[in-house]
Amino acid sequence: MKDGIEANFMSMVDMTRDMPASSDGLKMEWIDVPFGPFFPGLPSGLRLDLTLDGDAVAASSAQSAIAERAVLQEGAVQPETFVDDLAAMSLLSPTAYRLLACLALEQAAGQSVASDVARARVAAVERERLASHLGWLASFGAQSGFTWLQTRAAALQLKTRKATQEELAALAPEITALLTRVQRRPLLTARLKGIGELQGSDALSGPVARAGGIARDARSDDPVYAGLGFAVHISSGGDALARLKQRCGEISQSIDLISQAGAITQPAPQSVGKASGTGEGVVETPRGAARLSLTLQDGMVTKAEIGTPTAAHVALVGAVADGQELGDALTAIGSLDISPWEMTV
Amino acid sequence: MTILVVLLSLAAGAYFIAVLESWAVHGRLQISRPAISALALLGRESLLARTPDRLFFEAGPVLLLVAGLLAVSVIPLAPGLIVTDLATGALFLNAALAYVLVALIMAGWGPNGAYGMIGGWRFLGQFVAYAMLIVMPITAVAMRAESLSTVDIVTSQAALWNIAYQPLGFVLFVVAAMGLCWLPPLDLPTAEGDLAGGIEAEYTGVRLAVLRLARMVVILALAGATVTFYLGGWLGPWLPAWAWSGIKILIVAGLMVSAGRLVPRVREARYLELSWKLGIPLALTNIFVVGVIALVVPI
Repeated sequence: MKDGIEANFMSMVDMTRDMPASSDGLKMEWIDVPFGPFFPGLPSGLRLDLTLDGDAVAASSAQSAIAERAVLQEGAVQPETFVDDLAAMSLLSPTAYRLLACLALEQAAGQSVASDVARARVAAVERERLASHLGWLASFGAQSGFTWLQTRAAALQLKTRKATQEELAALAPEITALLTRVQRRPLLTARLKGIGELQGSDALSGPVARAGGIARDARSDDPVYAGLGFAVHISSGGDALARLKQRCGEISQSIDLISQAGAITQPAPQSVGKASGTGEGVVETPRGAARLSLTLQDGMVTKAEIGTPTAAHVALVGAVADGQELGDALTAIGSLDISPWEMTV
Repeated sequence: MTILVVLLSLAAGAYFIAVLESWAVHGRLQISRPAISALALLGRESLLARTPDRLFFEAGPVLLLVAGLLAVSVIPLAPGLIVTDLATGALFLNAALAYVLVALIMAGWGPNGAYGMIGGWRFLGQFVAYAMLIVMPITAVAMRAESLSTVDIVTSQAALWNIAYQPLGFVLFVVAAMGLCWLPPLDLPTAEGDLAGGIEAEYTGVRLAVLRLARMVVILALAGATVTFYLGGWLGPWLPAWAWSGIKILIVAGLMVSAGRLVPRVREARYLELSWKLGIPLALTNIFVVGVIALVVPI
């Protein structure tokens, strides 16, 4: 005992001497914690590695647990096989990728489709967007413990995934009522406001960009959408709340577009014969713009390159999560609607 | 005999609440679900984390159960139907429930896992938010009864239940009680979407069964306290006293368990902010108003 201090006493200063300091200057023991690939509040297949400083996120990274896949599985494939493969690679939005492949193939082969077919394909993509955004609402409900929203949105997602135009028209009042109730909850606003704020980045795409007031939408350059009276829907704020409102707005917009379009038909490739050439396509998927360029040689797809919206959004994980409290960080990452299937294409 | 009746009532009540909670979570009302879940848990291997703090890991769920049972012991179900009628019953209830915090920190720390540990510390933060809002409304209740005995508190409401006499205190107490029971939207220690179960994440088998049973007992204790302090306890016409207590406790517990599914989980910082900046001034206002009414118009 010296000066009233026991011989083996170790002060907090000694215990934390070589430990990293938090943003507030306190030195604490940081821990690395995996979240996923199967975690209740995250999409299946997404793995987050978070370094936690107490209950706050000090550093973060995201990766997909799904094996890497090439857009072109073999050297040269039949167009029909290519379309099916691309759709199967993006299981959360297969219709949009199916349309993307069809558009690129049609351009490479110098083909066009009748306007009613083009509208019906667009209706299928909008139905997928509607179901995808409802699925996101259900995921958000699960992540935030909002059971009512989770069950209602998930039930509607299941009903809308393969619904006909008439069935969707019948479901529209129920969907609208859900969206109205969700956006009127003061506790929900308090839960999301100011979380995961992102402004004016070139990397932003889809609802994430539009929630920040950026009118970036591949549909605005599409004559089929112009014929349906499409106008880009944007929100302001750039935070998780704005993203929720943006997706709610886009659900309503998709319902209107489907009612304008007429029938709903899954995109299918036309016969390209022995055509050769190069083609490009852009489709606004539920998560943002996906681009595909391909080469057609003697009726076979020999080269293909794809750009997905998720690739850009994954890079933003650190920007929205680092320095945030754990629950807020997971909400912010969830609001980006990252698809693990798109991360490894 | 009284102890046996109280324990049987507790078991029946815990089962009823488990049915309601399962309905709130899964959206389907299945009477047999808690029994099936309990059998599944009891039949499952009770895994031990790799390098646990064994004492904390084992003692956490048991201490939580003990805390809940101690709290129940001062809840009167009918005249004479109370395990122990202490002169300081309301204070004893508080003291017993203080061990909920200790139990949850032990249960969170014990398994040596990140999710559980964060859940335990989260509950410590939650305690800072709810603690004063449990004690302060009880102060106003005791002021009216001029006693800390839970039996006296019930009989003091013969003319007018406290829910009408001090509605502000009722609201504050129920919200704080939901925080103490970590019920949605204040389920921060076990948040499924954030922490994959948090405190419960590393528990399996019999240990998890004890942890969940203990939570049900704590919920019933808090529902019983709400009924005792604000809803006139066993008081009511036509039915026997014990029936009134049972009906009221189950309704309050049912509302506490199911209300959270309609709103998202509250952020911890926001919860603390609301509790201290809004809750405590309101609780002080409640004490002041009750004091003035007690002096001016004794009811």
